[in-house]
Amino acid sequence: MSTVTDTESREETPAETDYLISVTDLAKHFPIKDGAIQRVVGQVRAVDGVSFNVKRGETVGVVGESGCGKTTLGRCVSGLMEPTAGGVYFDISYQDLTRLESILAIPDGERPEAMDADLEEIAMGHRVDRMKGEAWRRYRRNCQIVFQDSFASLNPRQLVNSIVGRPLRVYKEASGNELTEQVVSLLEQVGLGREHLYRYPHQFSGGQRQRISVARALALDPELVVLDEPTSALDVSVQAQILNLLHELQRDRGLAYLFITHDLQVVRHMADRVVVMYLGKVAEAGETSDLFDNPRHPYTEALLAASPDLAKGGEAMPRTLEGSVPDPARPPQGCRFHTRCPVATPICGWEIDDVVLWLEDHPGVFEALSGVSRQDAFEAELSFEEEEAAGKLREALQSEAVPRAMREAVESISVEETTVKIKFHPVDGVELTERAQGHVAACVLDDLGGVTDVS
Amino acid sequence: MTLTNTGPDTHEVRPPGAIASVVDLKVHFQSKRGVVHAVDGVSFDILDGETLGLVGETGCGKSVTARSFLRLVPMPPGIAVGGAIHFRRRRPCQHCGGDGCELCDGLGRLPEECSQCGGPGCEHCDGSGIDNVDLLSISESLMNEIRGDRIAMIFQDPGKALNPGLTIREQIAEVLYEHRSEEIMERAGFDPEASNVTGTLVRRRATQRDRRPERILMSVPPFRSRRARLTRATDEMVAEALTETQIANPLKVMRRHPHELSGGMKQRVMIAQALACNPDLLIADEPTTALDVTVQARILELVKSLQERHQAAVLYISHDLSVVSQVSDRVAVMYAGRIAEVGTREQIFSEPLHPYTQGLLAAIPSGSHERGRLTAIEGTVPELIDPPPSCRFVGRCPYEAEQCRSADPILASFEPGHQVACFIHSPEPDSSLDQPSFARKTK
Repeated sequence: MSTVTDTESREETPAETDYLISVTDLAKHFPIKDGAIQRVVGQVRAVDGVSFNVKRGETVGVVGESGCGKTTLGRCVSGLMEPTAGGVYFDISYQDLTRLESILAIPDGERPEAMDADLEEIAMGHRVDRMKGEAWRRYRRNCQIVFQDSFASLNPRQLVNSIVGRPLRVYKEASGNELTEQVVSLLEQVGLGREHLYRYPHQFSGGQRQRISVARALALDPELVVLDEPTSALDVSVQAQILNLLHELQRDRGLAYLFITHDLQVVRHMADRVVVMYLGKVAEAGETSDLFDNPRHPYTEALLAASPDLAKGGEAMPRTLEGSVPDPARPPQGCRFHTRCPVATPICGWEIDDVVLWLEDHPGVFEALSGVSRQDAFEAELSFEEEEAAGKLREALQSEAVPRAMREAVESISVEETTVKIKFHPVDGVELTERAQGHVAACVLDDLGGVTDVS
Repeated sequence: MTLTNTGPDTHEVRPPGAIASVVDLKVHFQSKRGVVHAVDGVSFDILDGETLGLVGETGCGKSVTARSFLRLVPMPPGIAVGGAIHFRRRRPCQHCGGDGCELCDGLGRLPEECSQCGGPGCEHCDGSGIDNVDLLSISESLMNEIRGDRIAMIFQDPGKALNPGLTIREQIAEVLYEHRSEEIMERAGFDPEASNVTGTLVRRRATQRDRRPERILMSVPPFRSRRARLTRATDEMVAEALTETQIANPLKVMRRHPHELSGGMKQRVMIAQALACNPDLLIADEPTTALDVTVQARILELVKSLQERHQAAVLYISHDLSVVSQVSDRVAVMYAGRIAEVGTREQIFSEPLHPYTQGLLAAIPSGSHERGRLTAIEGTVPELIDPPPSCRFVGRCPYEAEQCRSADPILASFEPGHQVACFIHSPEPDSSLDQPSFARKTK
């Protein structure tokens, strides 16, 4: 699944733009270890094939529920984690990027040697987890991060002076009085002052602490700042102050932001382009206004409906999303959103796991389930302790009790004494397709009204 | 201070429908640097069956107000300086038996009669004849009876509010043992009034007041089967409470510990716990702040539907006006220990009068705002250590005038149902002061 290249998610710009950050098919898996010798028994696919670009001076928003891989993505981009596959390329020219894309289009192992050398050269110069020496130092200076929890991200034993001055000292930018003066000027830029120099983080309110984090991130005059939920711990009024501050700094310094948040209203306000993530994959990406006015993925639509909006008032309660994000260690087949999708179709990737989950939520038959032997994700034999339970399951799968799409996706179902043999139509993963200029979505539905032909 | 106080005079005529009235509540905290006036003269009513939203920034005293209802403010360091929270207990309407009729305005409940005079009205009940207890001065035993039964609370962080060492069943059963032991016994087929040995044992078991020897006695035949019957009845009631909150598969969830559940599920368990006894007043203290938007939407929907079904009054506390706009009938805006504005949802959201309310509304980001042009309220909530006798919003208010710095505005009625504490809207400005000009300051 991680080998799917969604080049479409990249904006097709007619002009040859150099990208500050180019994320190419990025994946980050965390091993699940178990047993006495800590054997790896599975992988949590936190980020699973994500591609997008960030230009100089623009804000790209990343939204999604908790557990969909937003933070992991941010950490990979800022070099705090090494990706499992794919890469984050920093400050890559248009020519290099097109060259890289053409190389990556050929599967690994089939490439001529010259291409491999080429790839190596690009990686050494631009790939975040391969850069060394001067290139690495340049990247680290130019990519800073502001964390969500300002309590945890500021050292409680250090004075503001040394917290904000630290990057300057590490990069030998200044020392002594000059350093103090630079820190004061940074503090003034974020709305604090000289009087705050010799205080500890606990003496500040949440909004002020977040300002200190921003000042620290700006110390080395970076080009990109990754903002990982910078305002979600703050009150609305303080959030407005921080958002205004971030905008002013961007305008004055030409910063690029990767703005990670779960708040759609904030993203709508701040971002030029938005990437909607679901379970480690991009569900939809596009220009902010286009994406919000004309969502092409039911997940985006559901998120929009769920976000409280003053304009909506209290008249109509939003159409809400059932259930929670599935386990990223066993992501659903096909479209990952099909388990919760309000407009799911039979070709969305219904599988055996959906039957088991359905059984768990509907007591009566589940207690009698004794084992599941899978051929693959779509075909399995469910054995029960009693014949009656097996019959009940078959009945349920053919009745109104299960979603209509799931019922129609069943290719065959047969009962042999206490075992039920179920086979679903196998389906491939859903890839991102372009819907409008620079607007991509991963949904089998063309227009959230009718079904497209997927062969 | 007479001029500057939101005194009890504004509440002389209490609306008969109010289930609870907070009158001039003052809760202060002792700190090293002085006395913090966390709640400083708060007055509002909660009408029966309505949802009142209480909005304000962090540190303006919302949670302290809510906790005062259940006397959960630790004292010391807290100091109950004054004021009262009048709570009018309800009983099921005998006319319709709880289904709602004309007599009880469709609420299914009637106010209980005054315990002193029994209806005709006396001094104790201000002549209304309605039972009226002051939650701040009643005895601890009466408070224990009300807490969790008549008034229940949902806390902000369900991860912290649930006991990690107990299963979900045990935590919900605790409420039932405390307040619904008679119902448990009736369900299990015992007479709650029985005075023989078995009856006493069963009763002590159902209220969880049994001692070790009794527990040992209950674990041997013939008492063991009785204990099992009680356990089954409790299980049933816990499952019913969980089903109310639309938890899938309650029998399975019951056996789990809190860490095995997601945030939204934990919040549902909290709601089930709070609603297990069908309270008259539910206090929800930022119940969705720690949750995702999608989960938040479902919890809001759930609270709303349960409130409609149970006809309970809800005090919904949040710092997010957009959330409050979805659930509330009326909204009270709190600032720095005072109520700044009270009104119906329409009044507050379409015609905010207090500059603070206006500021809060303007601070909500949306697509229509030009980027970087959010009208943020400058500064932060002032520290409430020995506050000066000025309007609390001085220093952050765009319409500040001389008068605001020398006197604190009273919460005064602007139109029916809409009260605001601001000199701009004061119907009779103090003649001793020069007429202030409220020109908007430019930055």
